[in-house]
Amino acid sequence: MHETELNDLSDDADYAASLQQGSASMTRSDSSRRSSSSEPDGAEVVYLKDNVTIHPTQYASERISGRLKLIKQGASLFITWIPYKGQSSNAKLSERDKNLYTIRAVPFTEIRSIRRHTPTLGWQYIIVVLSSGLAFPPLYFYNGGVREFLATIKQHIFLVRSAEDANVFVVNDFQDPLQRTLSSLELPRAVPVANGRSSSLSASESPTDKNQVRADGVAVDGSLSSIQNNGRQRQKMHDPARDLSIHVLEKFSLVTRFARETTSQLFRENHSEGFGGNERRNHSQSSHDYHQNAASIDVEKVPDEVPVAPDPLEKSPCSNRGEEAATNVGTFELIDSKEIDKLTVWGKPRQPPLGPEEWATFLDSEGRVTDEKALRKRIFYGGVENNLRKEVWTFLLGYHAHDSTYAEREYLVLIKKSEYETIKNQWQSITQDQAKRFTKFRERRGLIEKDVVRTDRSLSFYEGDDNPNVNLLRDILLTYSFYNFDLGYCQGMSDLLSPILFIMKDESESFWCFVSLMERLGPNFNRDQNGMHSQLFALSKLVELLDVPLHNYFKQNDCLNYFFCFRWILIQFKREFEYERTLRLWEVLWTHHLSEHLHLYVCVAILKRYRRKIMGEQMDFDTLLKFINELSGQIDLDAILKDAEALCICAGEHGAASIPPGTPPSLPLDTGLLYAQQDDEVL
Amino acid sequence: MATIGHNNLNAKLVLLGDMGAGKSSLVLRFVKGQFLEFQESTIGAAFFSQTLAANDVTVKFEIWDTAGQERYHSLAPMYYRGAAAAIIVYDISNTDSFGRAKKWVQELQKQGNPNMVMALAGNKADLEDRRKVTAEEARVYAEENGLFFMETSAKTALNVNDIFHEIAKKLPRAQPAQNPAGMVLVDRPPEGSRATSCCS
Ligand SMILES: Nc1nc2c(ncn2[C@@H]2O[C@H](COP(=O)(O)OP(=O)(O)OP(=O)(O)O)[C@@H](O)[C@H]2O)c(=O)[nH]1
Ligand SMILES: [Mg+2]
Repeated sequence: MHETELNDLSDDADYAASLQQGSASMTRSDSSRRSSSSEPDGAEVVYLKDNVTIHPTQYASERISGRLKLIKQGASLFITWIPYKGQSSNAKLSERDKNLYTIRAVPFTEIRSIRRHTPTLGWQYIIVVLSSGLAFPPLYFYNGGVREFLATIKQHIFLVRSAEDANVFVVNDFQDPLQRTLSSLELPRAVPVANGRSSSLSASESPTDKNQVRADGVAVDGSLSSIQNNGRQRQKMHDPARDLSIHVLEKFSLVTRFARETTSQLFRENHSEGFGGNERRNHSQSSHDYHQNAASIDVEKVPDEVPVAPDPLEKSPCSNRGEEAATNVGTFELIDSKEIDKLTVWGKPRQPPLGPEEWATFLDSEGRVTDEKALRKRIFYGGVENNLRKEVWTFLLGYHAHDSTYAEREYLVLIKKSEYETIKNQWQSITQDQAKRFTKFRERRGLIEKDVVRTDRSLSFYEGDDNPNVNLLRDILLTYSFYNFDLGYCQGMSDLLSPILFIMKDESESFWCFVSLMERLGPNFNRDQNGMHSQLFALSKLVELLDVPLHNYFKQNDCLNYFFCFRWILIQFKREFEYERTLRLWEVLWTHHLSEHLHLYVCVAILKRYRRKIMGEQMDFDTLLKFINELSGQIDLDAILKDAEALCICAGEHGAASIPPGTPPSLPLDTGLLYAQQDDEVL
Repeated sequence: MATIGHNNLNAKLVLLGDMGAGKSSLVLRFVKGQFLEFQESTIGAAFFSQTLAANDVTVKFEIWDTAGQERYHSLAPMYYRGAAAAIIVYDISNTDSFGRAKKWVQELQKQGNPNMVMALAGNKADLEDRRKVTAEEARVYAEENGLFFMETSAKTALNVNDIFHEIAKKLPRAQPAQNPAGMVLVDRPPEGSRATSCCS
């Protein structure tokens, strides 16, 4: 039934005309045409709705419209959504792309719930959540009709409204009445639609409001206050990610977020005409064939047999079946190797970096950061403009307290400067003669001197003979090795200091910022490697949670130690991105906005991007390490950050539970002896 | 281990030695013919491969370049386990690096593959004016310990290809499959043993 349906409106002139009229198409009422065109024998179309649309990206301009149907065959009810052929809002959305979103006869036995969203103003949409936790992208009913859709379902299967959220309808499709009863018992807080459908259904679905999008771009729905506002207003934004009831039903699903973002974006775009040109497009695409990919998307069950299943976050599919992708994170994605940087999750669009004017709105008259959380969140989504970094990083790193005033900070800087000089003097006062009898000092200085001369020397800031900044690197590291004598100096530290000195410029300030950073990252350099082990271990748990096939692949190939990610974690991806990009990544990581361990989700996101290549080419540990080292400079940071954000949200508390307490960069659990002293004796 | 097939030999080779001795520079010279004055330090490990013809066979070297700092020493067994050959590198202008090299030799003699071909490379031979370790001293040590020895310079390319060539010639042409436990963490229970590709 699929192929024929793909074409069934392609020559519908009436339909084509309606599309070209833009918003006119939204008012066209053609619901419930009960044509039973090309259904197979015994199948009956019990519901049909045209102009049901998905927005594959967060841009209103990119949409794919299609026809939604409920089909009854025997005792089973199926949902299908077939995009129209030849009608596309945007040249970028190819036929094939549309094909990918197609919902082909998904039986209701595989559907867990349907969430509806019926704002008084704006478009109605539904989100279909499958039993696996996977969800299709929101289906927008341009012509209204969500209520009728749900009512039709209820006529054929058992649908109960969630007691936790009146907008969520839980499917309970058991033919056997006993089974049905038992199943209901397992949902103690769910109540049947029939009993519960009074207020919210009728209140939220007023027929006159359908299809209206206010041209002034104001979203009336409570969850959608404009995201353009900067300054204080941003804090009022309702964040559905915190909505517990959504969380319960759509645990592994991103759709709610996406829906919010999309809708905000739609209104925003309606507001400003010239969208699209200046914002980078995220050409997100999704696939359709749930059956085919069921194995790869179920995060709860380990499939018996694991084919190289495609994944939404992967980057370069190595076969031409690459367009079919399913995900465990709640949306479907298409990856086209030719359009590698246009893909991915329905995560929040990255914002421009925080600039001076907006920064000022975060400070009170005496210079306190009034809302640390909001600041961190803002930086999480956009980073900081370069010339502000010097100031803002001191807060992110924890060198300055958020509630400190300008005056307090000025004072602290002075105090710290003299404290720095004191420590520095400890090694500076060692005479050459004394050094001869001070092997440990000579060794330590030797290590540092070997490393600073090969740290970022291609940057103009560090290049050339006798570069004073290279000497500063040396002095700060040597001072640090006296400040924290037990930890000492370890390769990789110069990589961590280099960007800090580059931003702070000042020696003492750089030192103290580095000290703050090392409070969290110091355990990376522990002699027994336990800081690294615990992170690599947590990473393996996260991959197991978020990508079962990839986990199984690593397991089969004895790659579970994840040592191919060692460099990523040890120096926070410093060698993986261009310098400026590293600065951006670091400040985002330092916000700890969604997790202190976002860097681990960044690892997962990168691995997921390349999963098909890794598995398809049957990489063993050696090849994998080589491949990963060679990814340096190839990774699109913004895309990865969006993926990591999405993965982090998807993993939710399961993700957090995968990471043992005290895993760096969390602050160490006990503050006793951190770095048990041992001789740097060889072997 | 080295494996043979149709006159092709795959050989896993590991580079060990003090930080800054020039391990990465030697590999880079051998694999890409380049030298970087400010070659960055190695974090974790790096993997390269390069093929060369020696006498009757073509040898494909699978090269593991490790991080030199003692702090990362506990990771090294992961990389030298199952290796058919090792180059132990020191810096002729640095006495400590020679001492470190000796310790690596001891460790490999104790822990490594008993048939491993070991080479000692006295690198930075171009820094004659800063020499601290004489060639004679190193040669004696090498002889006593059954290594072969060359002074190299990644900078001038002196003896770089030669040392790999020499190893290729010395590789045993067939090896019994043994010690298949490759990349297993030292202080963690193995998650399963990894059959090294070269032993299959
Ligand atoms: N003059 C001279 N310098 C060299 C030679 N080989 C390496 N170097 C320099 O020595 C420094 C260290 O070289 P690397 O190859 O990074 O040393 P490594 O042994 O890999 O060091 P780690 O990765 O830290 O263990 C770099 O600045 C190189 O340019 C050489 O043959 N002659
Ligand atoms: Mg190196």
